[in-house]
Amino acid sequence: MLRFDTPGAGGFADLFTEKPINYDRLPMPTPIPNVPGTRVVDTHGTTVIAVKYKDGLINVADRRATAGYTVMYDQAEKVLALDDYTLISISGSFAKSVEVVRYLRHAFKYFERSQLQPMSQDGKLMELQRVIANNVPAALQGIGAFIPVLSTFDRDTNQGRIYFYDVLGGQFETAEYGAAGSGSAPIKGAFEYILKTKGPFREMDRDTALRETLTLLDIAADLDTATGGSAKFLPAAKYITADGIRDFSEAEIKAALGR
Amino acid sequence: MPSYSPYDWNESIQQRNEYIEDRLKDGSPVVAMTYDGGLLLLSARQTQRKVYEIYDKLMFSAIGNQSDVEQIRVAAIDVAHAEGFQRSPDDVSVQRLVSFRLSPAIKKIYSDPFAQPVVLKGIFAEMGKTPDRDRLMLLSYDGEFSTAPDHAVVAGTAYAEDRMREHLKSETESGTPTLAAGLRAALYAWGVGMKHLESEDRADADYSTDGEGPKDVSAFIKEHLGKGWIVEAGVLERDTTRESRFRLLSDSELLETTGQYTQG
Repeated sequence: MLRFDTPGAGGFADLFTEKPINYDRLPMPTPIPNVPGTRVVDTHGTTVIAVKYKDGLINVADRRATAGYTVMYDQAEKVLALDDYTLISISGSFAKSVEVVRYLRHAFKYFERSQLQPMSQDGKLMELQRVIANNVPAALQGIGAFIPVLSTFDRDTNQGRIYFYDVLGGQFETAEYGAAGSGSAPIKGAFEYILKTKGPFREMDRDTALRETLTLLDIAADLDTATGGSAKFLPAAKYITADGIRDFSEAEIKAALGR
Repeated sequence: MPSYSPYDWNESIQQRNEYIEDRLKDGSPVVAMTYDGGLLLLSARQTQRKVYEIYDKLMFSAIGNQSDVEQIRVAAIDVAHAEGFQRSPDDVSVQRLVSFRLSPAIKKIYSDPFAQPVVLKGIFAEMGKTPDRDRLMLLSYDGEFSTAPDHAVVAGTAYAEDRMREHLKSETESGTPTLAAGLRAALYAWGVGMKHLESEDRADADYSTDGEGPKDVSAFIKEHLGKGWIVEAGVLERDTTRESRFRLLSDSELLETTGQYTQG
């Protein structure tokens, strides 16, 4: 581990690939025995939403995690910070997502600390795409698929950016909103309706944008069995501005929900 | 093959120390101390960066050969990140890092008469969950390490370090300083240490406290900042909503400290 001979190149994964025994700690392809008749065993996070607003970005998510028809957990945290200006909202396999987030946080920080410069925006996006792509074999076997939505505030251009992904790691940048998880499909039309009737999210103020996204989440909970409502536990809601990432307060979330 | 006697060993260790100490002598001193909001590391430099983030609650600075400093820095980062990822960030501790990983490796190189020694004296500063669990560790070129409370310094000579510590002690006696007070004391201590180092070449300078008056030290700091030396300070903040607890203070944040030397 103490590499007094070769200088590091900032690759966090290199620390482990040099020692094959630790390789399975990385969110890389996991060989899964192809046993006939196995049923889905992993826990899934469900609906996450990211939108732009006037001063940055908002991420909201329900708190439910399910395994098949069972509600595993109703206080899941699915909006996670990757660095001071980037939020990743995770849907799909909960175990895999959490591991991936842990990996990415370490990879970004490892690069910045060892190379004395932050990893570029494109470098970070590439790292995420690679992790999703590496997970394809597992996803094809019906286990461990995860789809994130990434929101990041670009301090150079002073604007928010949202990216969503397909299961192969294909990356798409969106102008207004991104959503993922089982509840995201039924509310797709509602996003478009809001854009057409109320104008773009990116022109809304913070409170309006929060109210709209929480309403969308509420509709998702109504239409999708795997998405949790807000009755028992409040949804997670965070925002990013030029000043970094902040949590919405409980009072703000309640006000937006009309309580 | 020529034989290698205990005498040779003694001789070679001595020469090694002389070689290393001679190269460390010109290093710009580093000051570490606790302040009411976290930990502070300060030094002044000409071109190369000196204060580094190692892990979430761990920072590092050193004097020595720049490529040696780099190697120890990167090795520390590697160890900390591998451990933090495989177990938990809470399992990364300066005590484990320095005493079990870095020190033995450095000691091994130091004891090998045919290896180029690591020219370095470094400070690791770890912020604990509460102020009483903060920990400062010093690591030297021979693998020797020690823990210091409240404040710690590294400088090119033991005497310069003594004088700096003496000064910091009197500054921190009245309690944990604020960031502004800490920066002021740290920069002044840097001046005390650096001034001693620069006068070491004078035959009469050894073990004297001459020229340590506030006016002399201030003039000395002023002269260096005027010549383009840059004050560099990094902090670990205990209460912050930012993802990174470490940050380098900006020029404007340091202005209050450097201003008294650069203005007027």
